[in-house]
Formats: sequence, structure tokens, C-alpha cells
Amino acid sequence: MGEAAELNTADPRRMSDAVSAVLRFGVLLSAAVIALGTLLLLLRFGSLDSGSLLTYYPSAPHGGFDPSLTALAAGLSSLNPYSVIDAGTLILLATPVARVALSALLFAAERDRPYVYITLTVLSLLLFSMLVTPFIPHFNG
Amino acid sequence: MLVFEFLTVMFLVSIVAGFLGSIVGIGGGIVIIPILTIFFGVDIHFAIGASIVSIIATSSGAAATYVRDRITNLRIGMFLELGTTAGAIVGAAVAVYSDSALLGLVFAGVLLVSLIPLIRKVGEDIPSNPVLHGLAARLELKGSYVEADGSTVTYNATRPGTGLVGMVVAGLFSGLLGIGSGTFKVLAMDLAMKIPMKVSTTTSNFMIGVTAAASAGIYFIRGDVDPLIVAPVALGILAGAAAGARVLPRARNPTVRKVFAVVLAVGAIEMVLRALG
Repeated sequence: MGEAAELNTADPRRMSDAVSAVLRFGVLLSAAVIALGTLLLLLRFGSLDSGSLLTYYPSAPHGGFDPSLTALAAGLSSLNPYSVIDAGTLILLATPVARVALSALLFAAERDRPYVYITLTVLSLLLFSMLVTPFIPHFNG
Repeated sequence: MLVFEFLTVMFLVSIVAGFLGSIVGIGGGIVIIPILTIFFGVDIHFAIGASIVSIIATSSGAAATYVRDRITNLRIGMFLELGTTAGAIVGAAVAVYSDSALLGLVFAGVLLVSLIPLIRKVGEDIPSNPVLHGLAARLELKGSYVEADGSTVTYNATRPGTGLVGMVVAGLFSGLLGIGSGTFKVLAMDLAMKIPMKVSTTTSNFMIGVTAAASAGIYFIRGDVDPLIVAPVALGILAGAAAGARVLPRARNPTVRKVFAVVLAVGAIEMVLRALG
């Protein structure tokens, strides 16, 4: 074990454990919220026919469901199953971002300059792509 | 079909997709997309939206375990994510001008051609250990992990430039086609960078979450992420990926490579069929 521990100095225990913990936390939280939403969905629509609910309307995608944050907040306060599932999905989408952000901090704590720059570049590209490009009409064709 | 029946079937299918995907380093869209479009007749837009979420779920669900067990190489993953995220943005930007059927055929062709080197080294366990030099040495692209039998495998990566270019191409296809392109990522690490198979699949698993997250925003705002489809897919994938991550450490590298080759062939044929409509 002593040898293995020495070989792992390039990948310290603390960093792996912290990254693993963030991923596990994000996954469990999103699974719990999505499970709650699914339960509400089953109670409300469980015995309906799924056909109409799964139809894709190009003019009104999402079956007319509004994906905006204000609609999400309103839906959450009334425990709308779709909104609860969407909230859980957003937590799931945020998990890799949180992992990259945490890695940047951990590389900084190790004073590992090249990797601080690499990680911050990835984080900027990721945030740009997730938060900015959806609102650029060109990307949204 | 009733809503609860749909949810049950998709949940079970997704467990299988998550299990398989977490072991070979791909996102599970290969299983999810045809079931949704062919079996349930769901529109391809919803199927791709669900696939994007399934990629992130497979990645985060299994990576928690792989990273804790130190099979995933965090440095190699972080370095290569430079290529995947940049490629994904460029891919999304030029997607409007592209013919997705033609692109699908090109991507499938690349995957099929790469079966040749993969099959040639099908019995290989641990690649011969090259000397760490140049960029790979400066960025410490090396590592070690402990096998199930207690032995420690030490490895050095080679050709980081080729690997990075491979990731830019993988990212381009992700942005263009809405896929995780985990197969391409594993190929680049296995064939170009000479990283042990298990490290390649787990590090690909680690990266696909970030590649998919990069394009998830667009699909979410467009309304392609349907909660009714995403809920059973996310829950099933998370369960399957957690199970797969417990199995992989005990699997042998040549076995993982064989399963990967089969999955790659099926995925390529599927893309050809989809491209031909």
C-alpha cells in the first residue's frame, strides 16, 4: 500500500475524495427530486394514455410546457410534477459544472498552475456554452 | 399505452443503458434513442433531449465511484476536456449549416474504420509503458490504479496532441449531432494515447458529462427535454450506472475492450440506419 500511495502523489487522495463527494451529492439530490416529481406524475397522470403527452409539436415543443425559470418557480410552488422533474434535471445538469468549478479550486490549493488555467478555461467554455449560447439565435436554429 | 406503463418500461430500459454505458465509457443514447423512436414512436428531438440527460446521468452516476476508486485520471480528463468543450461549441455553431444525415454517415464510417486497430489489439491487457516526455511530461499525464487482485498498474500517456485533436473532433460531433461521442473519446485514449482500457473508459465516462452539459442548455431552452421522458430515463440510468461502476473494477481490460468493440459496432450501424432514415 505504501508504494501505491506514493505512486498516487500526482492524484492526491483529497482531490479524488472531494470530486467524488460533489458528484455523489448532486446525483443523490437530483435523483430524490426527480423521484418525487415522478411520484406526483403517477398520482396525477398515471392512468392516462401516454400517446398525447409524448407528441412533439414543432410549434410548441415540450407539449406546450414553458421551460422558463419563472414558469418553473410557479410550477414548483404548486407542486406541478413537470416542474419538480425539471428542477431535478437542472440539478443533474449543474453537477458536472460544480465538479469542474471545484477542481479549479483544488488545483489552486495544490498550486498547480497549468491545471488551474486548464480548468478555468474549461469552466469558461462550459458556462458560455450552457448559459450564453441558448440565447444566441444563431445557435438556436 | 398508459403513462405508468411507459414510465416502467423506460425505467427498466434505462437501467440496462446506464449499466452498459458506465462500463464502456459512453452515454447510453445508443440504447435510449432507438427504444424511444422506434418502439415508442417518440420524435427524434425528444429522444436526443433525453439522450443528453442520460449522458450526464451516466457520467455523474458512475464517476463518483470511479473517481473515489482512483481509476479515473483527473488530470488527463481535465486536459482533454479543453478539446471536447471547444469542439462542442464550434459544432453547435456550425450545426445550422450542416447536413446531419451526411455527418451521421461520416461519424459511423470513422467508428467502423477504427474497429480495425481495436480488433488487432483485442487480447492486449496493459499497453507497453512508453517513456513520459514532452507535453505529456510537463502536464503529468501519467497515473496508476489498483486492480481487483491488488496489483498496481502504472502507465504513462503518449501523444497528448493527437489525443487533444481527437477530443476536438469528438466535441465537434457532439455539438453537431447531439451525441456524447464517448466511443470516439475512448478510441482516442486507447489507440493514440496508449492509456489502459479501464482508465480510458472511466476517464471518457468522466468527460462525457461535461461535453453533454455544454450543449444541454440549448436543448433545455428549446423544450426538447421532456420531463415525462427524462424522469424514468434519469432514474434508471443513475441506478444502472451505480451498478456498472461496482462491476468494472473486477472486469479484465481485454473483456472491457471486447464489450466496447461490440457496442461501437452496434452504435455505428445504428447511426448508418438513422442517417438513411
